[in-house]
Amino acid sequence: MSVGSVRLVVRTFSELCITAGALIVLFVVYVLFWTGVQADGASAGQIDTLERQWAQRSLAPAPAPAVTGATGQGTEPTGPAYEDGKPFAVMYVPRFGRKWDWPVLEGTGTGTLKKGLGHYAGTARLGETGNFAVAGHRRTYGDPFKDFPELRRGDAVVVNDGTTWFTYRIEKKPYLTVPSDVGVVDPVPRKAGFDGPGRYLTLTTCDPEWGSSHRLIVWAHLDATQPVGKGRPTALEG
Amino acid sequence: MYGWIWRHLPGNTWVRALISIVLVLAVVYVLFQYVFPWAEPLLPFGDVTVDGKNGSNTS
Repeated sequence: MSVGSVRLVVRTFSELCITAGALIVLFVVYVLFWTGVQADGASAGQIDTLERQWAQRSLAPAPAPAVTGATGQGTEPTGPAYEDGKPFAVMYVPRFGRKWDWPVLEGTGTGTLKKGLGHYAGTARLGETGNFAVAGHRRTYGDPFKDFPELRRGDAVVVNDGTTWFTYRIEKKPYLTVPSDVGVVDPVPRKAGFDGPGRYLTLTTCDPEWGSSHRLIVWAHLDATQPVGKGRPTALEG
Repeated sequence: MYGWIWRHLPGNTWVRALISIVLVLAVVYVLFQYVFPWAEPLLPFGDVTVDGKNGSNTS
C-alpha cells in the first residue's frame, strides 16, 4: 500500500470515529434535554385540551355526579369511558413541588407516556372502588416521577377529573419490586397492607432511575373528595 | 470523507461554508425528528409499568 492510501484509510477512519462521537453526544442531548422540552409542550397541551373540555361541559347543563364520602359505600362515580391515549384528569403531588401537575391519559403505551402519566387500562376508574393505577416516567420525557423515592406515608396525591377533586393519601414509602409483579395493581393490593375492597391508587415507575430492572410502587387510599365548585382541596394549599 | 464533500460543494469558500452549515442542520433535524425517536424506546428509560414483560418497552 502506498503512503497515500494509508493516509486515506487513517483519515476516513478518524472521521468516522468523530462522527460516531458527535452522534452519541447529540443522542444524549436528545434524551436528557429534548425529550423534556417535548414532554413539557405535550403535557401542557393535554392539560389545555382538558380544561377546554371542562369549560364546555360546565356550560352544558350536565348533572354533577353524586360525590360520596371518603372510603365508604355509595354510588360509584360515572362518566364517559376513558378513551385510549386521551387525557381525562390532572394529577398534583405536593411533595414533588407546587408547580408539579401532569395530565393523566388512558393507557400505558409508549406514545401515551410521552405526553403524561398513563392510567393502566382495565384498572379502576378514578375514585371508584378498586385500584386506580397510574404509570409515569422516572427519567426522560419531563422526568415526572424523578423524586418518587421521597414520597412518604400521608403524602397527598390529588387528582382532578373536571368535576371532582380526589385526594388520596399515601400508605407507606415506596416499595421496590420486579417488573413481573403485576399483583401490585390488583384491585386490593395486599402488599400495601390493604385487606379489603376500597378506593385505592397505585403509582408505578422504574428503578434505578436510568434502568429498567426494577419498579418502584406507592399505594394510596382515597381520603377525601370535593366538587370542583368548592375550590381546591386543602392538601394543595400551604 | 468530509474533505470529499467539501471538494464537491459548489461555489467559493463562503458559499461552501454556508451549504455545510445547512447540511449539518438538516442532518441534526433528521436525527432529532426521526432517528432518535426511533432509537430511544430501545433504551430502558421507558419501562415504567408492571406488566411482566421484562426489557421490552411495550406496555
